Amino acid sequence: MRHPHLSDDRLIDVCLDHAPAATEQQHLATCGVCQERRASLARLLNETSTVAVAEADAVFTDERLARQRAHILERVEQESRQGRLISFPAGHTSSPSLLRARPAARWIAGAAAAGLFIGLLAGHLTHDFTAGRVMPSSLASRATSSPAAFQAVSTTMSEEEFLGRLEIAIEGTGGSALRPLDDLTPLVWEVAAQ
Amino acid sequence: MSRTTTRRASSTVAAATPAPALALSKDSALAGEIKALVVAGRRDAARERFADLVALQQRRAARIAYQYLRDVHDADEAVQDAFVKVFTHIVSYREDLPFEVWFTRILVNGCLDLRKARSRRLRWVLPATSSSEAAPREPVAPDAGPEETLLASERGRHIAAAVAQLPERQRDVFTLCQIGGQSANEVSRALGLSEATVRVHLFRAIRRLRALLEHERK
Repeated sequence: MRHPHLSDDRLIDVCLDHAPAATEQQHLATCGVCQERRASLARLLNETSTVAVAEADAVFTDERLARQRAHILERVEQESRQGRLISFPAGHTSSPSLLRARPAARWIAGAAAAGLFIGLLAGHLTHDFTAGRVMPSSLASRATSSPAAFQAVSTTMSEEEFLGRLEIAIEGTGGSALRPLDDLTPLVWEVAAQ
Repeated sequence: MSRTTTRRASSTVAAATPAPALALSKDSALAGEIKALVVAGRRDAARERFADLVALQQRRAARIAYQYLRDVHDADEAVQDAFVKVFTHIVSYREDLPFEVWFTRILVNGCLDLRKARSRRLRWVLPATSSSEAAPREPVAPDAGPEETLLASERGRHIAAAVAQLPERQRDVFTLCQIGGQSANEVSRALGLSEATVRVHLFRAIRRLRALLEHERK
């Protein structure tokens, strides 16, 4: 009895180490067409992986891998170095006893701290710090109409974080109205490529 | 590392050889040992053993990362990060799973993060002019092996271009199966996809590659 030719998927399976069924094995042994298809598929897989491996190995030379290994181990060493508690000031323990021995100094320190606190409080209650500040009228009107529109922006934000926030803002509901405009605007690198 | 070639070589005789008994691979045994050392507080000894583990997996990791990212610096960064993460989280390694699968998952996640960050950069910022891909290939040395010769040939260039043309998901699956030497089941665990989905992507990738290369030949 003549078995039908193996499908492409079955042949791929066979080439990827999946053993053919007994009937398929029989067919493969006798059918020249399937043998040729199988050989060509195996050659394709072999060549693609050989090229991909050779490509990567050409850039990741032994020296680069050795450097990479050294960096990894260095980073691992840094990561695993645990933080130690250092007593500060080291070996100097006379401060508490100094205050205990001299109650007058303690009273003076307490009074100074209380004075500072009262001064700050009084300043806040009696003085409007924003009064003397000049603000552009456009900003001033916006600030009064929607105070929530102003948010503190961290100046230490990384580039990644900034771009991430940009993406989130665009993907959010508020940015959907601007999407047609965004589509019309060419990307920086597209302009540079022209 | 050598599994790709082993798998390739064995593909023709797969039916004849029975599956080996489930034994702990060398890297999995090492990872278990490192975990035990870290748990016991012997971090220095663990680091020493970790160097052996890096040596075992490094080349394979570099190949996978390079296929994912197509940039030597990004791939280098991804591999380093993956190994550092492995050591940092070695306590959470489950010895009943192959280390290779666990490690590949960490590596692939790192590569995907980097790829995402890079596409974000490309969208908003001008890319750097220097690129490893743009660098001209050096001429093949007279004593080059068959791999280097194939890579330098016209056919090699066509193959590399065809692989690069694959849709992202197909290329990811193809990379892990053919370059990472993983089975569909292992890839499914590494990528968090079902095995059937992995197989569909793999079959599509191979069919597409064949079509692209046949088209080139004509």
